[in-house]
Amino acid sequence: MAAGQPSHANAEASSSKHSIYEASTQYRHWRFSPEQLVDTRASLNAAAVSVIRDAFEADEARSSTTVSFLDANEESLLVKLYVGKVSQLCGHFRFPEEVEATAMSYLKRFYLKNTVMDWHPKNVMLTALFLATKTTNNPIPVDTYASHIPKTQPSDVLDLEFLVAQSLGFDFAVWHAHRALWGMSLDIQVLPELTREEVHRVYQIALNHVRASRLTDAELIFTPAQIALACLSLASPHLAVSWTRLKLAEDADMLLSAIQPIKDMVVAHGSSPDVEAVRDVDRRLKLCKNPEKVMGSRAYMKKQQEAERRADEKRKRKAAEVRRAMEEGDPFGSELARDGAMDDDDDDD
Amino acid sequence: MDAVEKANADRQKRWAKDQKIGEGTYAVVYRGRELATGRKVAIKKIKVGQFKDGLDMSAIREVKYLRELKHQNVIELLDVFSSKKNLNLVLEFLDTDLELVIRDRSLVFLPADIKSWMAMTFRGLEFCHRNFILHRDLKPNNLLIAANGHLKLADFGLARDFADPGYKMTCQVITRWYRPPELLFGCRYYSTAVDIWSVGCIFAELMLRIPYLPGESDMDQLKTIFRALGTPTEEDWPGHTKLPDYVPVGQFQKTPFRDLFSAASPECLNLLSKCLIYEPRRRISAREALYHPYFTSHPHPTHPSKLPKPADKTSATLPLEELDGNAEPNGNGPGVKANPPNKLKRKLSSDELSGGGRSIARKLDFTQQRQTVQ
Repeated sequence: MAAGQPSHANAEASSSKHSIYEASTQYRHWRFSPEQLVDTRASLNAAAVSVIRDAFEADEARSSTTVSFLDANEESLLVKLYVGKVSQLCGHFRFPEEVEATAMSYLKRFYLKNTVMDWHPKNVMLTALFLATKTTNNPIPVDTYASHIPKTQPSDVLDLEFLVAQSLGFDFAVWHAHRALWGMSLDIQVLPELTREEVHRVYQIALNHVRASRLTDAELIFTPAQIALACLSLASPHLAVSWTRLKLAEDADMLLSAIQPIKDMVVAHGSSPDVEAVRDVDRRLKLCKNPEKVMGSRAYMKKQQEAERRADEKRKRKAAEVRRAMEEGDPFGSELARDGAMDDDDDDD
Repeated sequence: MDAVEKANADRQKRWAKDQKIGEGTYAVVYRGRELATGRKVAIKKIKVGQFKDGLDMSAIREVKYLRELKHQNVIELLDVFSSKKNLNLVLEFLDTDLELVIRDRSLVFLPADIKSWMAMTFRGLEFCHRNFILHRDLKPNNLLIAANGHLKLADFGLARDFADPGYKMTCQVITRWYRPPELLFGCRYYSTAVDIWSVGCIFAELMLRIPYLPGESDMDQLKTIFRALGTPTEEDWPGHTKLPDYVPVGQFQKTPFRDLFSAASPECLNLLSKCLIYEPRRRISAREALYHPYFTSHPHPTHPSKLPKPADKTSATLPLEELDGNAEPNGNGPGVKANPPNKLKRKLSSDELSGGGRSIARKLDFTQQRQTVQ
């Protein structure tokens, strides 16, 4: 490598290979085609149903035949309702927009890895929001946070934090369309045909479209800048064209046609779901949720016991190993990590 | 097992912990390896359960930024997984750090060596700044050095994104000796220039082999800076007397760089002076620095593999330095013979022990954030 020879070419090289956005975890891990999204959710749902069916059966034979499980669309509907609730909660706390947008992204990403039948979005939402306050550098103490939410203890929030972080693959950084839109609003100020008031008015309308876009899958399919441009175009098609021409002379038309699906999506899906429909889903969810995740249920106890038994076994095995090592005369045990697996994790907690 | 748990377990199985190499207040560090390849890694296990507010902010910052940053001059986060209630960061294993290199009096630095370290530092920092990230804790022991000599920025526990115009940030960041005057004056709106000042201090330290501006307290830090660089005038730094914590600390004359850095080339001193300009907006940027004639004039920078480094025996314990500032791997170990003549010994300075240092800066940082950021 040429680290010892700083040159202009070298400084350029790393920047020209990828745009900053293309190097982001959002681009690398959280970008799907619409078909991939459908597939991901369908297979996640199928796997969940099969696991939960087994759990029901293990608990009581033939008990799963009468259960009507949620399908992938119904799951999405429920998640969407709670994505919308993040806004309400953020309004209450007066959190900055970045916290709100980040929490919503977290919630959507979480349910690309988990099913609502295991983890109810009303709980996950609280944790996702709390985590977002920290990852966007707006932390508040968990006590304060929980005390502002009815019937919520700090432990309700913290117990899921690890699961949420893990489900996000620890990809905490999220790029948002409202940031891109803000940049565009600065750009269009230089256009000659506009007054300040006009720019501000269009920006506010476009921003509301961006907020609506957060209720859709747009951010899982398109880039923040594409979404922002689509929303600008919804607010003022003419300004979106001017901005695009200002930025890219030749490819303007291509880009403008590419944002049409986003506009359609925001218009069609950018509002809160019908409450009655969701209520029905939620009612059925009570009957089909994973019994192993319902604290106090028979299946839950059984699973806990199983986990304890295994932990106990491991402890005994370890103790036996130490004993054996002592007898063999090496008080420090045999060679470390013989089997390579990292299961000796409780050495110091 | 849930899909998420299973994915985690699969990731966990890729790595083996071999040996505990240190423990700090917030993490335990292991030397480990990737099972498939045998590649050496450092595994930093962050104890999560003990924090009242869940995942700790410095862990979150470190994970957040290192997940995004991939660059040859930034430490690589290879993987993250959890084990029970612990967070494990798998980091590339690095042999030593610039502080240990500087302190090792048996090593002789050529101007070309210093140029090479500076080039790599600026390159890593330029990448952070290009990604809108402020490091906010640059100092020699956060600049780690790989076996092949490559220097990498590490410890992103105090890093943050650029704030939007008008949003306050805490000024309780950056270890004191490397902290720029605007932060010492309580400035709450600042920029990439804060990191550049730190690099300037490191640059000088590479030439002097002792810390350039070792203040004993925050107040003394300002005095130390002004003694070296002259008390700024309104012309040097417009508006600085209006900063929140401004206090006059006396009139001092600048010591000409030439007197202190007698062996340095004119280009070298020119770049150094541009890193240490009082007015933050006039301070050089990382990108401009990379284009500075210093890097293209003779001598050319040393190839990383040819850079001086401490003898091998110490390497097993060194990663601690980067992984937790509170860890004391082997006391005086490799640094014993390197005690600078002026008795300033960083590890045992009052700065670190009694609370002005990094751990405190970090603690203050959190409370400050809470009070101020929202």
